Amino acid sequence: MSEIQEKTYSDFVLPANIVSKVDLARMISDLERVDNELTEIEVRKKAGAKTDPNLTMSDQLAEFLDQNKLDIHDDHERSRLIKQLHVLKEHVPVIHVTFSAPADPESLQEIAHWMRQSVHPQVVISAGLQPSLIAGVYLRTPNKVHDLSLRTKLRQSSGLLVKELEALRGTN
Amino acid sequence: MGLFQQKKRKTPQDQVVEEVKSLFDNEFREQLREHGRLYFERVINENAALFKQDLDATVAHINTELRQHIARQLDNQFTQINQVNTELRKHITDQLDKQFIEYSHTMKEAQEMALRTLEKSADALKEQHQALSAALERSVAKQDAMLTSAVEENKNHIEEMKAAHQAAVQSLTQSVEALKEQQTQLSALLDKSIAQQQDLIIETFMNNMARVVEHYVLGALGDQYDVKAQLPSIIQQLEENKKEIADDMKL
Repeated sequence: MSEIQEKTYSDFVLPANIVSKVDLARMISDLERVDNELTEIEVRKKAGAKTDPNLTMSDQLAEFLDQNKLDIHDDHERSRLIKQLHVLKEHVPVIHVTFSAPADPESLQEIAHWMRQSVHPQVVISAGLQPSLIAGVYLRTPNKVHDLSLRTKLRQSSGLLVKELEALRGTN
Repeated sequence: MGLFQQKKRKTPQDQVVEEVKSLFDNEFREQLREHGRLYFERVINENAALFKQDLDATVAHINTELRQHIARQLDNQFTQINQVNTELRKHITDQLDKQFIEYSHTMKEAQEMALRTLEKSADALKEQHQALSAALERSVAKQDAMLTSAVEENKNHIEEMKAAHQAAVQSLTQSVEALKEQQTQLSALLDKSIAQQQDLIIETFMNNMARVVEHYVLGALGDQYDVKAQLPSIIQQLEENKKEIADDMKL
């Protein structure tokens, strides 16, 4: 029995370069493609045809397999892995993060890494853009929103400004 | 022969001619001519004087004759003219008399006709006058009644207007007092409203101060403040809210 049979979707570790649900879906598509190619090779082997064992796969899939110590050469285990990944795609926790400026992949990976370390190991990010935030982020978890933007900070700090103004008025 | 030739003898005629020639030289001729001229002038003057006398006499006679003739002719003409005048006057008088008689007759008829017409008109006018008098009397009576009623109505109207005027004056007085009161109230209200507006503006300004600053910061930062630059701050804020985020994800 391999590790795939023991592991379910909740045991998978997502690599840092899988940041969003789209990345996960792309990786699953890539795995399905690899699965097709391997099945084709098996069929050709049984037919006695020459096969080219060189398989190409995306960095995301390779890293996922490496980090989870998975072997995909057995077709049953491969099928089970694909099924579990589909379940994972359905149940993966998503945090919507809205930025004030377009986010670069490295920053997204870093934020995703922090979230997987601190919040949930399988969390993915759905990134958005809202320039009026000025700076900071606006987080939306399944049940709450966390406005960590500079705009909200400024609004929350308006009392200080008012106090300063009133102090100035009193001075004048 | 020659010896015997006698000198040619002059004839008497030749001798006369020679004599005449010697007598009637140029001077003598001139004297004669002068003498003739003077004589001719004298004869002519005499004849002219005689002719003038005759002519004067003839003219005087002709004048006399002509004057007498003209006088006679004029007398005759005057006589004829007087006769014609007399006849013409008589004829005209007769004609005029006839015309006058006709005119008198015609005038008389016309006068009679006009008189009849005038009498008829007078009768018609009299009737009209009587009818108009009756109508006028009726109209005057009617107008009198109407005027009386109008005067009565006007009196009532005037009374009502006086009452209305008094009521209006009273109402105006009350309105003025009410307006004064309202003005006082409005003045107080306006002062209060101005103060409230002022407070509201200040409050709004203070409430929107954060937004003003936000716009200012947003404009100042622009796109230069990218996510990579913000990343340490974002991670720090996430760390600060880590527990809440994690708790929500566990639910």
